[in-house]
Amino acid sequence: MIGLWCILAGARPTKVEQSASATIQPEAGFRTARPGGRQAQDRRVGELSRAFLILLGLSLFAPDAARADENMLRLPQEVQGWNADGEDKVFTRQTIFDYMDGGGEIYLAYDFQRLLTREYARENAPRIVAEVYQMASSGDAYGIFTHDTDGQPVSVGQSALYSPGLLRFWKHRFFVRLQAEDETPKVKAALMSLGSRLASAIPQEGRKPALLEALPPQGLLESSVHYFHTSVLLNIHYFLADSNLLNLNSKTEAILARYQQDRDRPRLLIVRYPRPSDAAAAFEQFGRVYLRQSPAGNAAYRKLEKEQFAGGRREERVLLLVFEAGSRESAEKLVDFAASRMKGVTP
Amino acid sequence: MKHHDKNHRVTRRDFLRGTAYATLGLAMGIEGLPRAGKGSAFAAENPLSQVVLIRHEAAVDAGHQVNSVVVLEMLDTAMKTFTGESNVAKAWQRYFHPQDNVGIKYTRCSWQRIHVNQAVLDAITDPLIASGVPRSRVVANDFGLPVKDCTALINVPTVKVHTLAGIAVSIKNYINFTGNRSSYHFDGSAKLGETWLLPDVKGKTRLIVVDMLRPYFGPGPQINPLHQWDYKGILVGTDPVAIDTVCLSICQKKRNLFKGEEWLISPPPRSLAAADSIYHLGTSDPTKIKLTRLGWENEQLV
Repeated sequence: MIGLWCILAGARPTKVEQSASATIQPEAGFRTARPGGRQAQDRRVGELSRAFLILLGLSLFAPDAARADENMLRLPQEVQGWNADGEDKVFTRQTIFDYMDGGGEIYLAYDFQRLLTREYARENAPRIVAEVYQMASSGDAYGIFTHDTDGQPVSVGQSALYSPGLLRFWKHRFFVRLQAEDETPKVKAALMSLGSRLASAIPQEGRKPALLEALPPQGLLESSVHYFHTSVLLNIHYFLADSNLLNLNSKTEAILARYQQDRDRPRLLIVRYPRPSDAAAAFEQFGRVYLRQSPAGNAAYRKLEKEQFAGGRREERVLLLVFEAGSRESAEKLVDFAASRMKGVTP
Repeated sequence: MKHHDKNHRVTRRDFLRGTAYATLGLAMGIEGLPRAGKGSAFAAENPLSQVVLIRHEAAVDAGHQVNSVVVLEMLDTAMKTFTGESNVAKAWQRYFHPQDNVGIKYTRCSWQRIHVNQAVLDAITDPLIASGVPRSRVVANDFGLPVKDCTALINVPTVKVHTLAGIAVSIKNYINFTGNRSSYHFDGSAKLGETWLLPDVKGKTRLIVVDMLRPYFGPGPQINPLHQWDYKGILVGTDPVAIDTVCLSICQKKRNLFKGEEWLISPPPRSLAAADSIYHLGTSDPTKIKLTRLGWENEQLV
């Protein structure tokens, strides 16, 4: 195979993102300063070129199965009057911060592998940026998709959301963001067209995380479901503690979901650990620090602030925790229901 | 910062009970908290810090385009109000002198597309130069500002809820001065206040002008247009902690409005609490801040 990302990009050359040079033109100052400077830019170009060469090398040794599905994703040169403009850019785990300093952590937490970006331009129309993220697994592509669940569901890929000028979808191991500078009817049509073409170019569907099957369907607020691995992401969706209270890491799987049960709106958190002893240690710490009572057995519940109940139970290597329940009974019921469903979940 | 177990862990419960980040809880409108000080939020009679918020309905049009004439009027008015001067030039002369080398540190985040508007920069540089600071002694930049050579700084941030820091306004705006930005994104970004105490930075900030024309309140990391709104505001002050606290309060209320229920900014902005209690850059206690509100009142949120 000749360079995965060359194929993805339709054999267009790659180039590192330019330094964030300001369009703001300050007055001639007491000392001129240019962001980053030419030297820094050259250094980054060199770093990316090296990374790209490594990428090519890795692609040569990619397993056939992986090669087959990745080769199918091609960014078109033109979509509804918008043409590819400028050079494509490729970012790896090592260079993602060149693309989004202060944001790359989120993608890395979903085992991000590679990113391809291409810009599209059309005269007198907003520019469009296409970002194709390749994750290590379809579960992580689904996971990064659930990071921000606000938007109008549309039919692209396996799940998609549209906001004004922004289309996001996931399929197989890919998460795709297509964003325009502004929205017009033509922009929206172009985004939907581009999204559909990209989704069609991915022949395989990915499997959602099996852990989702443990979520009781009754009262589940679909748009509240987040899938993740680490405590940084848990805290973005639901701040639990300023330390890693549940010992989450890249090897743990977690799902956070919200329920509507009459006037009760509890949150259910399910965490699967590599080993039962990991789950036991986390549950003991959760009880001691958060509930402020060490669990006597495999279950513990307590009334907390605002007349709300929290707690949960451990089942082998899985923790099932509930927060903001209106009563102990409703908390236990939700956890027990999830635990019973957990028995049918693929190990 | 007060910690709550032997390993210094603060939990959601501590936060909600007001026993951790107490003043932030008050700023974020969490009910049932013991107030950090006495009195109403942002209405201090004997304030430790003052902040001026000005808004104008015409500052941003329906197509999200910024009106530079209106923005200039807004900042002129805000500066006169903040200083108590009747003349714009005198207001700027309170903080800057002809012999100053003035660095304007603005925010430009290309990947997130939340930039300080050119209109806001012009509304700063034009009256600053007109007040007597030579044009050759004024430089504006994000990366590469020659801070060592500056004798005075103007901090000009945007406002965004931030994935790792909770909120990013004036305190986080100096992260580029560190040369190692990623190292400040760990541990809830609690160390951000340290950037204000770097040898080349410490004591140089004379004024903070916040571009709150189109703030962002979503989970990030990239922009979802549903989470950016035309607030049409500018804030002026000298206390970064007080200013960021006001912005935190506004963003929290906007999030609640958007979801129709409490949607807490997460993680809690430890950097803001630490900037107050550890780095002593200002106050995050809303009862010790006097906020002067000017102009458009629709959905002011504070």
